Amino acid sequence: MEYNWDFGAVWTYRGLLWTGLQNTIILAVVCLVLGLFFGLFVGAARYSTRPILNYPATAFVELFRNTPVLIQIMWFFFAFPIISPFQVDAFTAATLGLVLNTTAFSSEIFRAGIQSIAKGQWEAAKALGMTYMQQMKRVILPQAIRRMVPAFMNRAVELVKMTSLASVIAYGELMHQAKSIAAISFNPIEMYTAVAIFYFLLIFPFAILVRRLEIKFQPGS
Amino acid sequence: MTNVLEIKKLSKSFGDLKVLDAIDLTVSKGSTVVIIGASGSGKSTLLRCVNFMEIPSAGQIVLQGDLIGSGTGESMSYSDSELAKMRARVGMVFQHFNLFPHMTVKQNVMEGPRTVLKCNTAECERRADRYLEKVGLGWKADAYPSHLSGGQQQRVAIARALAMEPEVMLFDEATSALDPELVGEVLQTMKELADDGMTMLIVTHELGFAYTVADRVLFLSEGKILEQGDPEAVLINPKQEATKNFLRGHGSFRLPEPNLD
Ligand SMILES: Nc1ncnc2c1ncn2[C@@H]1O[C@H](COP(=O)(O)OP(=O)(O)OP(=O)(O)O)[C@@H](O)[C@H]1O
Ligand SMILES: [Mg+2]
Repeated sequence: MEYNWDFGAVWTYRGLLWTGLQNTIILAVVCLVLGLFFGLFVGAARYSTRPILNYPATAFVELFRNTPVLIQIMWFFFAFPIISPFQVDAFTAATLGLVLNTTAFSSEIFRAGIQSIAKGQWEAAKALGMTYMQQMKRVILPQAIRRMVPAFMNRAVELVKMTSLASVIAYGELMHQAKSIAAISFNPIEMYTAVAIFYFLLIFPFAILVRRLEIKFQPGS
Repeated sequence: MTNVLEIKKLSKSFGDLKVLDAIDLTVSKGSTVVIIGASGSGKSTLLRCVNFMEIPSAGQIVLQGDLIGSGTGESMSYSDSELAKMRARVGMVFQHFNLFPHMTVKQNVMEGPRTVLKCNTAECERRADRYLEKVGLGWKADAYPSHLSGGQQQRVAIARALAMEPEVMLFDEATSALDPELVGEVLQTMKELADDGMTMLIVTHELGFAYTVADRVLFLSEGKILEQGDPEAVLINPKQEATKNFLRGHGSFRLPEPNLD
Protein backbone atom coordinates (compact mmCIF):
# COMPACT_ATOMS: atom_id res chain seq x y z
CA MET A 1 0.00 0.00 0.00
CA GLU A 2 1.22 3.42 -0.95
CA TYR A 3 1.13 6.10 1.75
CA ASN A 4 2.56 9.57 1.45
CA TRP A 5 3.94 10.51 4.83
CA ASP A 6 3.54 14.22 5.51
CA PHE A 7 4.85 15.61 8.77
CA GLY A 8 4.21 19.23 7.72
CA ALA A 9 1.45 19.67 10.32
CA VAL A 10 3.88 18.86 13.13
CA TRP A 11 5.83 21.98 12.22
CA THR A 12 2.73 24.06 11.46
CA TYR A 13 1.23 23.29 14.86
CA ARG A 14 4.49 23.30 16.81
CA GLY A 15 3.07 25.93 19.18
CA LEU A 16 0.21 23.64 20.20
CA LEU A 17 2.54 20.68 20.60
CA TRP A 18 4.96 22.75 22.67
CA THR A 19 2.09 23.72 24.98
CA GLY A 20 1.13 20.07 25.19
CA LEU A 21 4.65 19.04 26.09
CA GLN A 22 4.80 21.69 28.81
CA ASN A 23 1.45 20.58 30.22
CA THR A 24 2.59 16.97 30.22
CA ILE A 25 5.69 17.89 32.18
CA ILE A 26 3.78 20.12 34.61
CA LEU A 27 1.21 17.42 35.28
CA ALA A 28 3.90 14.76 35.76
CA VAL A 29 6.02 16.89 38.08
CA VAL A 30 3.09 18.08 40.21
CA CYS A 31 1.77 14.53 40.56
CA LEU A 32 5.19 13.10 41.32
CA VAL A 33 5.98 15.63 44.04
CA LEU A 34 2.57 15.34 45.69
CA GLY A 35 2.44 11.57 45.25
CA LEU A 36 5.84 11.07 46.90
CA PHE A 37 4.97 13.48 49.70
CA PHE A 38 1.68 11.79 50.58
CA GLY A 39 3.22 8.41 49.89
CA LEU A 40 5.68 8.90 52.75
CA PHE A 41 2.83 9.36 55.22
CA VAL A 42 0.66 6.58 53.86
CA GLY A 43 3.73 4.34 53.83
CA ALA A 44 4.45 5.20 57.47
CA ALA A 45 0.81 4.43 58.32
CA ARG A 46 1.08 1.13 56.47
CA TYR A 47 4.23 0.35 58.40
CA SER A 48 2.55 1.11 61.70
CA THR A 49 1.13 -1.75 63.73
CA ARG A 50 -1.67 0.43 65.07
CA PRO A 51 -4.95 -0.60 63.37
CA ILE A 52 -6.28 2.96 63.38
CA LEU A 53 -3.44 3.95 61.05
CA ASN A 54 -2.80 0.69 59.31
CA TYR A 55 -6.31 -0.32 58.19
CA PRO A 56 -7.34 2.89 56.39
CA ALA A 57 -3.91 3.14 54.76
CA THR A 58 -4.10 -0.45 53.56
CA ALA A 59 -7.62 0.06 52.21
CA PHE A 60 -6.48 3.19 50.38
CA VAL A 61 -3.47 1.50 48.84
CA GLU A 62 -5.41 -1.55 47.69
CA LEU A 63 -8.21 0.56 46.22
CA PHE A 64 -5.93 2.73 44.13
CA ARG A 65 -3.49 0.04 43.11
CA ASN A 66 -6.22 -2.26 41.91
CA THR A 67 -8.30 0.06 39.75
CA PRO A 68 -7.23 1.50 36.39
CA VAL A 69 -5.91 5.05 36.51
CA LEU A 70 -8.06 5.85 33.49
CA ILE A 71 -11.19 5.08 35.50
CA GLN A 72 -9.89 7.12 38.44
CA ILE A 73 -9.32 10.18 36.25
CA MET A 74 -12.72 9.87 34.58
CA TRP A 75 -14.40 9.28 37.91
CA PHE A 76 -12.93 12.47 39.39
CA PHE A 77 -13.95 14.42 36.30
CA PHE A 78 -17.48 13.14 35.84
CA ALA A 79 -18.69 11.57 39.10
CA PHE A 80 -16.87 13.51 41.81
CA PRO A 81 -18.50 16.91 40.97
CA ILE A 82 -21.94 15.31 41.30
CA ILE A 83 -21.40 13.94 44.81
CA SER A 84 -19.35 16.89 46.09
CA PRO A 85 -19.80 20.67 46.11
CA PHE A 86 -16.58 21.15 44.13
CA GLN A 87 -16.17 22.15 40.52
CA VAL A 88 -13.45 19.98 39.06
CA ASP A 89 -11.59 21.08 35.96
CA ALA A 90 -9.63 18.71 33.77
CA PHE A 91 -6.29 19.49 35.37
CA THR A 92 -7.63 18.92 38.89
CA ALA A 93 -9.35 15.67 37.96
CA ALA A 94 -6.22 14.36 36.25
CA THR A 95 -4.08 15.47 39.19
CA LEU A 96 -6.37 13.77 41.71
CA GLY A 97 -6.36 10.49 39.82
CA LEU A 98 -2.63 10.46 39.19
CA VAL A 99 -1.61 11.73 42.65
CA LEU A 100 -3.70 9.15 44.45
CA ASN A 101 -2.35 6.41 42.23
CA THR A 102 1.24 7.59 42.72
CA THR A 103 0.66 7.92 46.47
CA ALA A 104 -0.54 4.33 46.62
CA PHE A 105 2.43 2.97 44.71
CA SER A 106 5.07 5.14 46.36
CA SER A 107 3.76 4.34 49.84
CA GLU A 108 4.48 0.71 49.06
CA ILE A 109 7.99 1.64 47.98
CA PHE A 110 8.53 3.56 51.22
CA ARG A 111 7.13 0.76 53.33
CA ALA A 112 9.16 -1.95 51.61
CA GLY A 113 12.27 0.25 51.75
CA ILE A 114 11.91 0.86 55.48
CA GLN A 115 11.15 -2.79 56.13
CA SER A 116 14.28 -3.81 54.25
CA ILE A 117 16.50 -2.15 56.88
CA ALA A 118 17.81 -4.64 59.42
CA LYS A 119 16.27 -4.56 62.89
CA GLY A 120 19.73 -4.04 64.39
CA GLN A 121 19.85 -0.56 62.88
CA TRP A 122 16.76 0.50 64.80
CA GLU A 123 18.18 -1.10 67.92
CA ALA A 124 21.55 0.60 67.68
CA ALA A 125 19.93 3.99 67.14
CA LYS A 126 17.49 3.41 69.98
CA ALA A 127 20.22 2.26 72.34
CA LEU A 128 22.08 5.53 71.74
CA GLY A 129 19.04 7.31 73.12
CA MET A 130 17.46 8.47 69.88
CA THR A 131 13.74 9.15 69.76
CA TYR A 132 11.66 7.34 67.16
CA MET A 133 11.79 10.37 64.84
CA GLN A 134 15.56 10.64 65.21
CA GLN A 135 15.98 6.93 64.49
CA MET A 136 13.91 7.35 61.36
CA LYS A 137 15.57 10.55 60.17
CA ARG A 138 19.21 9.85 60.97
CA VAL A 139 19.51 6.10 60.54
CA ILE A 140 16.62 4.42 58.75
CA LEU A 141 15.52 6.81 56.00
CA PRO A 142 19.01 7.71 54.74
CA GLN A 143 19.63 4.01 54.11
CA ALA A 144 16.15 3.16 52.93
CA ILE A 145 15.85 6.05 50.46
CA ARG A 146 19.02 4.93 48.69
CA ARG A 147 17.40 1.58 48.07
CA MET A 148 14.17 3.26 46.98
CA VAL A 149 15.66 5.60 44.37
CA PRO A 150 15.49 3.19 41.41
CA ALA A 151 11.91 2.22 42.26
CA PHE A 152 10.88 5.87 42.48
CA MET A 153 12.50 6.64 39.15
CA ASN A 154 10.55 3.79 37.62
CA ARG A 155 7.40 5.28 39.08
CA ALA A 156 8.30 8.63 37.54
CA VAL A 157 8.66 7.00 34.13
CA GLU A 158 5.30 5.30 34.53
CA LEU A 159 3.77 8.58 35.62
CA VAL A 160 4.94 10.46 32.53
CA LYS A 161 3.32 7.77 30.39
CA MET A 162 0.12 7.84 32.43
CA THR A 163 -0.31 11.59 31.93
CA SER A 164 -1.45 10.77 28.39
CA LEU A 165 -4.63 9.36 29.96
CA ALA A 166 -5.63 12.91 30.86
CA SER A 167 -6.41 13.40 27.16
CA VAL A 168 -9.73 11.57 27.67
CA ILE A 169 -11.01 14.47 29.74
CA ALA A 170 -9.54 17.02 27.33
CA TYR A 171 -6.67 18.27 29.48
CA GLY A 172 -4.29 19.93 27.03
CA GLU A 173 -1.27 17.70 27.44
CA LEU A 174 0.76 16.27 24.58
CA MET A 175 -1.62 13.45 23.66
CA HIS A 176 -4.67 15.68 23.67
CA GLN A 177 -2.94 18.30 21.52
CA ALA A 178 -1.97 15.61 19.03
CA LYS A 179 -5.53 14.34 18.91
CA SER A 180 -6.86 17.86 18.27
CA ILE A 181 -4.32 18.57 15.54
CA ALA A 182 -5.02 15.22 13.90
CA ALA A 183 -8.73 16.07 13.82
CA ILE A 184 -8.26 19.39 12.05
CA SER A 185 -5.46 18.40 9.68
CA PHE A 186 -6.64 14.83 8.95
CA ASN A 187 -3.27 13.22 9.60
CA PRO A 188 -3.60 10.97 12.69
CA ILE A 189 -0.89 8.63 11.48
CA GLU A 190 1.81 11.31 11.38
CA MET A 191 0.61 13.05 14.57
CA TYR A 192 0.58 9.90 16.68
CA THR A 193 3.92 8.85 15.26
CA ALA A 194 5.34 12.25 16.14
CA VAL A 195 4.06 12.25 19.74
CA ALA A 196 5.26 8.69 20.23
CA ILE A 197 8.73 9.98 19.36
CA PHE A 198 8.30 12.97 21.68
CA TYR A 199 7.35 10.71 24.60
CA PHE A 200 10.27 8.49 23.84
CA LEU A 201 12.72 11.40 23.76
CA LEU A 202 11.30 12.63 27.05
CA ILE A 203 11.44 9.28 28.84
CA PHE A 204 14.39 7.44 27.37
CA PRO A 205 17.20 9.51 28.97
CA PHE A 206 15.42 9.08 32.27
CA ALA A 207 15.22 5.31 31.79
CA ILE A 208 18.97 5.21 31.15
CA LEU A 209 19.52 7.13 34.37
CA VAL A 210 17.36 4.60 36.24
CA ARG A 211 19.44 1.77 34.86
CA ARG A 212 22.63 3.49 36.01
CA LEU A 213 21.26 4.12 39.49
CA GLU A 214 20.03 0.55 39.82
CA ILE A 215 23.57 -0.60 39.29
CA LYS A 216 24.98 2.04 41.61
CA PHE A 217 22.54 1.40 44.45
CA GLN A 218 22.66 -2.35 44.35
CA PRO A 219 22.75 -3.65 47.93
CA GLY A 220 26.30 -4.04 49.16
CA SER A 221 27.88 -1.48 46.88
CA MET B 1 31.10 2.12 97.04
CA THR B 2 28.20 3.70 95.21
CA ASN B 3 25.84 1.63 93.15
CA VAL B 4 25.59 2.63 89.52
CA LEU B 5 22.82 0.21 88.78
CA GLU B 6 20.20 -1.41 90.97
CA ILE B 7 17.86 -3.99 89.52
CA LYS B 8 15.00 -4.83 91.84
CA LYS B 9 12.63 -7.77 91.46
CA LEU B 10 12.92 -7.59 87.68
CA SER B 11 10.58 -9.92 85.82
CA LYS B 12 9.90 -10.25 82.13
CA SER B 13 7.45 -12.46 80.29
CA PHE B 14 6.79 -12.85 76.59
CA GLY B 15 3.18 -13.92 76.53
CA ASP B 16 3.02 -17.03 78.72
CA LEU B 17 6.76 -17.52 78.71
CA LYS B 18 8.36 -16.23 81.87
CA VAL B 19 11.93 -15.38 80.90
CA LEU B 20 13.10 -13.42 83.95
CA ASP B 21 11.83 -14.17 87.42
CA ALA B 22 12.30 -11.48 90.07
CA ILE B 23 15.98 -10.76 89.44
CA ASP B 24 17.80 -8.67 92.05
CA LEU B 25 21.18 -7.29 91.12
CA THR B 26 23.30 -4.32 92.06
CA VAL B 27 26.35 -3.19 90.13
CA SER B 28 28.75 -0.92 91.97
CA LYS B 29 30.78 1.81 90.33
CA GLY B 30 33.76 0.55 88.39
CA SER B 31 32.91 -3.12 88.76
CA THR B 32 32.66 -5.70 86.02
CA VAL B 33 29.82 -8.19 86.31
CA VAL B 34 29.75 -11.13 83.90
CA ILE B 35 26.57 -13.08 83.24
CA ILE B 36 26.83 -16.65 82.01
CA GLY B 37 24.19 -19.25 81.37
CA ALA B 38 22.79 -21.66 78.82
CA SER B 39 21.15 -20.52 75.61
CA GLY B 40 17.62 -19.31 76.32
CA SER B 41 18.26 -18.72 80.03
CA GLY B 42 17.39 -15.03 79.64
CA LYS B 43 20.82 -13.35 79.55
CA SER B 44 20.05 -11.09 76.61
CA THR B 45 16.63 -10.29 77.97
CA LEU B 46 18.17 -9.22 81.27
CA LEU B 47 20.59 -6.84 79.55
CA ARG B 48 17.88 -5.52 77.26
CA CYS B 49 15.62 -4.78 80.19
CA VAL B 50 18.35 -2.75 81.86
CA ASN B 51 18.21 -0.09 79.13
CA PHE B 52 14.58 -0.74 78.25
CA MET B 53 15.15 -2.20 74.83
CA GLU B 54 12.57 -4.56 76.33
CA ILE B 55 10.07 -3.14 78.78
CA PRO B 56 10.15 -5.14 82.03
CA SER B 57 6.89 -6.83 83.04
CA ALA B 58 7.55 -5.99 86.68
CA GLY B 59 10.31 -4.64 88.88
CA GLN B 60 12.42 -1.52 89.00
CA ILE B 61 15.61 -0.23 87.46
CA VAL B 62 17.53 2.44 89.38
CA LEU B 63 20.36 4.21 87.57
CA GLN B 64 22.69 6.24 89.82
CA GLY B 65 19.91 6.65 92.34
CA ASP B 66 17.30 7.65 89.73
CA LEU B 67 14.30 5.34 89.61
CA ILE B 68 13.30 4.96 85.97
CA GLY B 69 9.58 5.29 85.33
CA SER B 70 6.86 5.92 87.84
CA GLY B 71 4.62 3.61 89.84
CA THR B 72 5.15 0.66 92.12
CA GLY B 73 7.27 -2.31 91.17
CA GLU B 74 4.26 -4.29 89.98
CA SER B 75 2.97 -1.70 87.55
CA MET B 76 5.48 0.81 86.32
CA SER B 77 4.77 3.24 83.53
CA TYR B 78 7.36 4.89 81.33
CA SER B 79 7.30 7.81 78.94
CA ASP B 80 9.12 7.53 75.62
CA SER B 81 11.18 10.64 76.27
CA GLU B 82 12.23 9.41 79.70
CA LEU B 83 13.36 6.09 78.25
CA ALA B 84 15.29 7.81 75.46
CA LYS B 85 17.10 9.97 78.04
CA MET B 86 17.82 6.90 80.13
CA ARG B 87 19.24 4.94 77.20
CA ALA B 88 21.60 7.80 76.44
CA ARG B 89 23.20 7.16 79.84
CA VAL B 90 23.74 3.45 79.14
CA GLY B 91 26.06 2.13 76.44
CA MET B 92 25.14 -1.04 74.62
CA VAL B 93 27.28 -3.25 72.39
CA PHE B 94 25.55 -5.86 70.24
CA GLN B 95 26.57 -9.23 68.98
CA HIS B 96 26.26 -8.05 65.37
CA PHE B 97 27.87 -4.60 65.86
CA ASN B 98 25.03 -2.77 64.08
CA LEU B 99 27.22 0.05 62.84
CA PHE B 100 25.50 2.57 60.59
CA PRO B 101 26.68 1.56 57.11
CA HIS B 102 25.92 4.92 55.49
CA MET B 103 28.30 6.76 57.83
CA THR B 104 32.06 6.66 58.12
CA VAL B 105 33.65 5.26 61.25
CA LYS B 106 34.07 8.74 62.67
CA GLN B 107 30.52 9.77 61.82
CA ASN B 108 29.28 6.62 63.53
CA VAL B 109 31.02 7.64 66.71
CA MET B 110 29.92 11.27 66.45
CA GLU B 111 26.29 10.40 65.78
CA GLY B 112 25.19 9.89 69.39
CA PRO B 113 26.83 13.02 70.81
CA ARG B 114 25.54 15.06 67.88
CA THR B 115 21.95 13.88 67.58
CA VAL B 116 21.18 12.85 71.14
CA LEU B 117 23.41 15.02 73.32
CA LYS B 118 23.35 18.00 70.91
CA CYS B 119 27.09 18.56 71.35
CA ASN B 120 28.68 21.13 69.05
CA THR B 121 30.86 19.90 66.21
CA ALA B 122 34.14 20.54 68.02
CA GLU B 123 32.99 18.49 71.00
CA CYS B 124 31.67 15.69 68.78
CA GLU B 125 35.01 15.55 66.98
CA ARG B 126 36.95 15.61 70.21
CA ARG B 127 34.98 12.65 71.52
CA ALA B 128 35.21 10.71 68.26
CA ASP B 129 38.99 11.19 68.09
CA ARG B 130 39.43 10.32 71.72
CA TYR B 131 37.38 7.12 71.75
CA LEU B 132 38.54 5.89 68.36
CA GLU B 133 42.07 6.34 69.65
CA LYS B 134 41.10 4.40 72.74
CA VAL B 135 39.98 1.37 70.73
CA GLY B 136 43.03 1.76 68.48
CA LEU B 137 41.17 2.75 65.34
CA GLY B 138 41.94 6.43 64.91
CA TRP B 139 43.58 5.54 61.62
CA LYS B 140 40.29 4.15 60.27
CA ALA B 141 38.26 7.28 61.01
CA ASP B 142 37.35 7.95 57.39
CA ALA B 143 36.67 4.36 56.35
CA TYR B 144 33.19 2.94 55.96
CA PRO B 145 32.23 0.04 58.23
CA SER B 146 31.95 -2.40 55.31
CA HIS B 147 35.68 -1.98 54.74
CA LEU B 148 36.55 -3.09 58.27
CA SER B 149 37.08 -6.55 59.71
CA GLY B 150 34.51 -7.84 62.18
CA GLY B 151 36.83 -7.20 65.09
CA GLN B 152 37.45 -3.63 63.96
CA GLN B 153 33.73 -3.06 63.47
CA GLN B 154 33.03 -4.23 66.99
CA ARG B 155 35.70 -1.92 68.37
CA VAL B 156 34.11 0.98 66.50
CA ALA B 157 30.78 -0.03 68.01
CA ILE B 158 32.42 0.11 71.44
CA ALA B 159 33.81 3.58 70.64
CA ARG B 160 30.35 4.67 69.48
CA ALA B 161 28.90 3.65 72.82
CA LEU B 162 31.77 5.21 74.79
CA ALA B 163 31.36 8.54 72.99
CA MET B 164 28.11 8.99 74.92
CA GLU B 165 30.25 8.81 78.08
CA PRO B 166 27.81 6.35 79.60
CA GLU B 167 27.48 5.51 83.26
CA VAL B 168 27.42 1.79 82.55
CA MET B 169 28.20 -0.36 79.51
CA LEU B 170 26.27 -3.46 78.47
CA PHE B 171 27.86 -6.10 76.24
CA ASP B 172 25.66 -8.83 74.77
CA GLU B 173 27.93 -11.57 73.40
CA ALA B 174 30.15 -8.98 71.78
CA THR B 175 32.50 -11.59 70.36
CA SER B 176 30.09 -14.39 69.39
CA ALA B 177 29.77 -13.30 65.76
CA LEU B 178 33.52 -12.98 65.24
CA ASP B 179 35.97 -15.32 63.58
CA PRO B 180 38.09 -16.92 66.30
CA GLU B 181 41.22 -14.99 65.39
CA LEU B 182 39.38 -11.66 65.86
CA VAL B 183 37.94 -12.40 69.29
CA GLY B 184 41.13 -11.48 71.15
CA GLU B 185 41.34 -7.85 70.02
CA VAL B 186 37.77 -7.15 71.15
CA LEU B 187 38.23 -8.88 74.50
CA GLN B 188 41.44 -6.92 74.96
CA THR B 189 39.57 -3.66 74.35
CA MET B 190 36.93 -4.69 76.88
CA LYS B 191 39.58 -5.62 79.41
CA GLU B 192 41.21 -2.21 79.04
CA LEU B 193 37.86 -0.58 79.71
CA ALA B 194 37.46 -2.65 82.84
CA ASP B 195 40.97 -1.68 83.95
CA ASP B 196 40.07 1.99 83.36
CA GLY B 197 37.26 1.63 85.86
CA MET B 198 34.28 1.50 83.50
CA THR B 199 31.20 -0.08 85.06
CA MET B 200 30.29 -3.05 82.89
CA LEU B 201 27.62 -5.72 82.64
CA ILE B 202 28.78 -8.40 80.23
CA VAL B 203 27.10 -11.46 78.73
CA THR B 204 29.70 -13.80 77.27
CA HIS B 205 30.57 -17.40 76.57
CA GLU B 206 34.29 -16.60 76.91
CA LEU B 207 34.84 -18.13 80.32
CA GLY B 208 38.56 -17.43 80.31
CA PHE B 209 37.80 -13.77 79.81
CA ALA B 210 35.18 -13.90 82.55
CA TYR B 211 37.69 -15.47 84.90
CA THR B 212 40.31 -12.82 84.21
CA VAL B 213 38.19 -9.69 84.08
CA ALA B 214 35.08 -10.21 86.18
CA ASP B 215 34.71 -8.91 89.71
CA ARG B 216 31.59 -10.98 89.98
CA VAL B 217 30.11 -13.79 87.89
CA LEU B 218 26.40 -14.63 87.79
CA PHE B 219 25.07 -17.92 86.56
CA LEU B 220 21.59 -17.46 85.13
CA SER B 221 19.26 -20.41 84.80
CA GLU B 222 15.60 -20.37 83.85
CA GLY B 223 15.27 -16.68 84.54
CA LYS B 224 16.85 -16.76 87.99
CA ILE B 225 20.32 -16.05 89.32
CA LEU B 226 21.19 -19.54 90.45
CA GLU B 227 24.66 -18.86 91.66
CA GLN B 228 26.94 -15.83 91.99
CA GLY B 229 30.23 -14.82 93.45
CA ASP B 230 33.78 -14.02 92.47
CA PRO B 231 35.14 -15.85 89.39
CA GLU B 232 36.96 -18.38 91.53
CA ALA B 233 33.80 -19.36 93.38
CA VAL B 234 31.50 -19.67 90.36
CA LEU B 235 33.82 -20.82 87.59
CA ILE B 236 36.22 -23.01 89.55
CA ASN B 237 34.28 -24.19 92.57
CA PRO B 238 30.62 -24.08 91.57
CA LYS B 239 28.14 -25.37 94.14
CA GLN B 240 25.00 -25.84 92.07
CA GLU B 241 24.56 -28.90 89.90
CA ALA B 242 23.27 -26.80 86.97
CA THR B 243 26.36 -24.60 87.07
CA LYS B 244 28.61 -27.65 87.12
CA ASN B 245 26.80 -29.12 84.11
CA PHE B 246 27.09 -25.85 82.23
CA LEU B 247 30.81 -25.62 82.95
CA ARG B 248 31.31 -29.25 82.01
CA GLY B 249 29.77 -28.53 78.63
CA HIS B 250 32.13 -25.62 78.13
CA GLY B 251 35.21 -27.40 79.37
CA SER B 252 35.03 -30.58 77.34
CA PHE B 253 37.36 -29.41 74.65
CA ARG B 254 39.67 -27.15 76.61
CA LEU B 255 43.34 -27.38 75.75
CA PRO B 256 45.99 -27.53 78.43
CA GLU B 257 47.75 -24.17 78.91
CA PRO B 258 50.10 -23.69 75.96
CA ASN B 259 53.80 -23.62 76.72
CA LEU B 260 54.95 -20.34 75.20
CA ASP B 261 58.53 -20.20 76.42
N1 LIG C 1 10.98 -10.71 71.70
C1 LIG C 1 10.73 -11.95 72.15
N2 LIG C 1 9.52 -12.51 71.99
C2 LIG C 1 9.26 -13.76 72.43
N3 LIG C 1 10.15 -14.53 73.07
C3 LIG C 1 11.37 -14.04 73.27
C4 LIG C 1 11.74 -12.73 72.82
N4 LIG C 1 13.02 -12.50 73.15
C5 LIG C 1 13.45 -13.61 73.78
N5 LIG C 1 12.47 -14.55 73.87
C6 LIG C 1 12.58 -15.85 74.50
O1 LIG C 1 13.06 -15.66 75.82
C7 LIG C 1 13.95 -16.69 76.18
C8 LIG C 1 15.25 -16.09 76.64
O2 LIG C 1 15.86 -15.46 75.55
P1 LIG C 1 17.25 -14.70 75.66
O3 LIG C 1 17.54 -14.17 74.30
O4 LIG C 1 17.20 -13.72 76.77
O5 LIG C 1 18.24 -15.88 76.02
P2 LIG C 1 19.80 -15.87 76.09
O6 LIG C 1 20.17 -16.37 77.45
O7 LIG C 1 20.34 -14.56 75.68
O8 LIG C 1 20.19 -16.97 75.02
P3 LIG C 1 21.40 -17.02 73.97
O9 LIG C 1 22.60 -17.53 74.72
O10 LIG C 1 20.94 -18.01 72.96
O11 LIG C 1 21.59 -15.66 73.42
C9 LIG C 1 14.08 -17.59 74.96
O12 LIG C 1 13.24 -18.71 75.16
C10 LIG C 1 13.60 -16.74 73.83
O13 LIG C 1 13.01 -17.54 72.84
MG1 LIG D 1 21.43 -13.83 74.02
